[in-house]
Amino acid sequence: MTTTTTNVAARATDLWKVYGSGEAQVIALRGVSVDLERGRFTAIMGPSGSGKSTLMHCLAGLDTVTRGQVFIGETQVTGLGDAGLTRLRRDKVGFIFQQFNLLPTLTAQENILLPLSIAGRKPDDDWYKTVIETVNLGDRLGHRPSQLSGGQQQRVACARALVARPEVIFADEPTGNLDSRSGAEVLGFLRNSVREYGQTIVMVTHDPNAASYADRVIFLGDGQIVDEMTEPTAEAVLDKLKGLDVGVGGA
Amino acid sequence: MLRASLKSLLSRKLRLTLAIVAIVLGVSFLSGAFVLSDSLTARFEKLLRSINQNVAVQVMPTEEAADDDPRPLLTQQQVDALAQVPGVAAAQGDVTALGVVPFDVRDGKPVTTQGAPQIGGGVTGDDPFALVSVAEGRWPTAETEVTISRYTAEQAHAAVGDRLKVYLPEVNEAREFTVAGIVAFEGDRDSLAGETLILFQEAFAQRTFYGAEGRFSGAYLSTEPGVTQEELRDRVAPLVPAGFEAKTGEQANEDAANDVQEGLSAVTTYFFGPFAIVALLVGIFLIFNTFNILVAQRAQELALFRAMGASWGQVTSSVLVEAVLVGVVGSTVGLLAGIGLGLAGSSALTAFIGAQLPGAGIQVGATPIILAYVVGVLVTVIAAFVPAVRASAVPPLAAMRDIARPDKPLLGLSIAGAVLAVPGAVLTGAALTGIGGLTLPALLIGVLLFFLGVTLLSPLLTRPLAGLIGRAVGWGVSGRLGVRNALRNPRRTAVTAAALMIGVTLVSTASVLAASFNKTIDEAISSTIGAEIVIQTNSTQGPPDGTIGFSSEAVDEVRALPGVDQAVPFYLTVDARVDDGSPPFGGVFAVDDLAVARDMFALKATEGDLRTLGPDEFVADQNTADSRGWSVGDTVPVELNKGGERPYRLVGVYEATPIWTDTMILPRAAVSNFNGPLAFQAYVSLDDGADPGTVMPEVERIMSDYPLVTVGDRSSLIDQFTNFTDIALGIISVLLGVAIVIALLGILNTLLLSIYERTRELGMLRAVGLSRGGVTRMVGTESVVMAVFGCVLGIVMGVALGVAIAAALIDRDFLTTIAIPWISLIVFVLIAVVAGVLAALWPARRAARLNVLAAIAYE
Repeated sequence: MTTTTTNVAARATDLWKVYGSGEAQVIALRGVSVDLERGRFTAIMGPSGSGKSTLMHCLAGLDTVTRGQVFIGETQVTGLGDAGLTRLRRDKVGFIFQQFNLLPTLTAQENILLPLSIAGRKPDDDWYKTVIETVNLGDRLGHRPSQLSGGQQQRVACARALVARPEVIFADEPTGNLDSRSGAEVLGFLRNSVREYGQTIVMVTHDPNAASYADRVIFLGDGQIVDEMTEPTAEAVLDKLKGLDVGVGGA
Repeated sequence: MLRASLKSLLSRKLRLTLAIVAIVLGVSFLSGAFVLSDSLTARFEKLLRSINQNVAVQVMPTEEAADDDPRPLLTQQQVDALAQVPGVAAAQGDVTALGVVPFDVRDGKPVTTQGAPQIGGGVTGDDPFALVSVAEGRWPTAETEVTISRYTAEQAHAAVGDRLKVYLPEVNEAREFTVAGIVAFEGDRDSLAGETLILFQEAFAQRTFYGAEGRFSGAYLSTEPGVTQEELRDRVAPLVPAGFEAKTGEQANEDAANDVQEGLSAVTTYFFGPFAIVALLVGIFLIFNTFNILVAQRAQELALFRAMGASWGQVTSSVLVEAVLVGVVGSTVGLLAGIGLGLAGSSALTAFIGAQLPGAGIQVGATPIILAYVVGVLVTVIAAFVPAVRASAVPPLAAMRDIARPDKPLLGLSIAGAVLAVPGAVLTGAALTGIGGLTLPALLIGVLLFFLGVTLLSPLLTRPLAGLIGRAVGWGVSGRLGVRNALRNPRRTAVTAAALMIGVTLVSTASVLAASFNKTIDEAISSTIGAEIVIQTNSTQGPPDGTIGFSSEAVDEVRALPGVDQAVPFYLTVDARVDDGSPPFGGVFAVDDLAVARDMFALKATEGDLRTLGPDEFVADQNTADSRGWSVGDTVPVELNKGGERPYRLVGVYEATPIWTDTMILPRAAVSNFNGPLAFQAYVSLDDGADPGTVMPEVERIMSDYPLVTVGDRSSLIDQFTNFTDIALGIISVLLGVAIVIALLGILNTLLLSIYERTRELGMLRAVGLSRGGVTRMVGTESVVMAVFGCVLGIVMGVALGVAIAAALIDRDFLTTIAIPWISLIVFVLIAVVAGVLAALWPARRAARLNVLAAIAYE
């Protein structure tokens, strides 16, 4: 346990999340404990309603927990106020959303640098160049999001998450809105950024193919971790999901 | 369809509330004006009724004869004859004069009223009509005694037995009297309407006011039971002498009430009219924007209606139905607010003039009600029309897709703007430079077109101008993001800013004119008037015609003071008939010696000579001579207050200046044809080395008997001129306040929509680390950019318009210089910044408190 602390980018301990009360009570997480290792690409999978998004939101400090603790690096997330959470998101966390969520008023480059300017930090030029090369936007940096394709927009979003070198990047169904080719591109360099630069990425997905890019897959069912798999393949993940006795939901 | 739109109406209460507020403000000013004037009139009517309750018939000079010279009077015999008419119970001759002013017993200063008359009367004993009765002491029995109303006693701090100084018109001097008694009005009231009343022994009053005993200015009659007012009027008619008429008490009340109503509604219309117009004009923008927003928000819902088979007409009318409902609700609330405003105004005004008017309840006529609804609903429907048509243009397909909001090109709009603005500017310019006076309708249409044009052009200006403003206020990342947001939708930003633009344009124009006027007066007075001391008369009690002011003897006394070089009195009347038309606007003056006046005012002859005038000679300024086509040597018929028409020959023309424009100057002899012999103004120059500080108190002492006269230095003269502009600016500033409040609501509205539309963006910004403070600053910056944008547009237009008008006035010698009130303009911008911050408070808080997860979560 003591040795793993430094190798863990994010950790949840006995995490409970309960919505509502009385008869309308819904338990989204039932005592989930998980360590997400530094420098690895972890996928969280599970059928709809399994609590996979809730787990990610709690880990990222976007949602409050009912019981339990969440750490990102050395920082205890649970119990932080708004200012603390803001600082955490600024310095330690990056996000990639299904909806891209770029600011339409900013160019691609400005969008990429937005978290740094919000934090008032200067970009590391070498790293910035590396990121730009990785996402392969080339001459599109001066364009507005409305002038970019979905795949390009998501690559801008990825660059935005990478450029601040956060402790963890949380990706919420990053390929959900992309065609399979664009999706493969995005997943490809998410994996590269883990392999080549040691970035930690946690991705929520219900697509076995997307999960196959990860180093480790955690399976959630009914608010609990029901299984996990390392070095997954799409077929193995699909089989596992089928084995979970719950419909995968048409994905 | 109606049910559906009603339901969606209720679900958007907040947004509609903002639109309703605009209507409420406009309608309340509109209806308030009527309620105020009606309520005050009702109170005055009640007052008049109580004054005349026992008067069945009054015999008074006819309107035409009232100003005759000598004035028509009744003799004692004529009054006695009226008393003999069968059916007359009592007859009383009326002995009354106005301008009878008491002086405060404590400080010796004249007691003035807020516009209420200062009445002097003659009495012989108890009032047969029981309007006043002695409350303390007794009636006057000697020439040196007076009995005064309780209000007069209070104001003059006089008690029974005190010595009271009273200014007597006609004889034009102040004398001391002993207070013999104090009277109260029927119902134990101190005064009727804040007037002062001093009653003298009748014979003394007759001699003083009418020049002889046994004279009356009219008569009041009461009837015996069984005789109607009309019967009595017809019976006394044969006895009524020429120049008089008999009126029933009812008729007299009605006529007087009508006069009051006319005066009041003029005042309330001029006062409230601009407020109502500005509020409604600004309101149109707010409503337009609100409905645009509503339609945009409901695009999917409307598309669904269309997809389900609703026709375009149905969609359009569903939006218009909403507009009508908003209009009705706004008008109703506005009407109620207006009634409150009217009543509050009525109390405030009565308190201000010190009147103790009887209460007469709420007077809400049909006019304010009908007007409130017609205007309120019409304005709302007009403002909502374009959004309604736009709603119907939502394709049914939009129901299936995310709301697409493509940025429509601004080209068409901008061309339309230019098409309106350019001819508007040309028309305005033409109207201002047009020969033969300002053509007001052309000017108004020109300004309106220009205004509309610039409003349509303003979206085009948003990017460059608001971008520039953004550079000044967009500090840090949040600030820059806020500026980008403000520029994102130029139309919306422009419409929001336009609401503020209107108010600021108005105030900027007025400020430029006022500043130019003040500077002109200051320069003109400082450079052209060689007088250290200025003696002036307050003309609020009546227009100058020789009956208000100070005597020429008083001027002689001033002239004799050590240290005084010259004293130039001006005699002034504004009631004359010149060249078979109206007199010059600035008035008809008479001076003792034109040569002296010329030197004191540095008048420059442009034609003929400015020498001492002969008895049938006159001079005029260049403008007057030009506009009336006079040239030196011409003879012009002039009919003054009395004495009939008389020819005067033009011997000189002087250069027009802002204080000497639209004037003519007659010789001293002409004063005998004024209503009275009093000088209206005098300018006193001092010997070299004389100290104004020692001469001034002496002049004040000499003038202390003349209640309306004030003595001051040159700056007091400037103050007198600039007072007017200060008051006008005060009213206009309040106007700006109203416009700002409405514009503020508009900004609030737009911000709320922006936040609603950008929920996801806000969530993302928070997710990537923007703090709550950052979000607040971002929204605040967007708000300030919009507010300052509107303000700057308004200032630019207002200053342009103000300068154009000022230039036209310079052309007519009303102004000599244009002044731009920079400080005021900067203050406007600062106000806009504050308004922007205020408007952003709530939306920014909402944005900052946004639940990050809810904002970014899909599903």
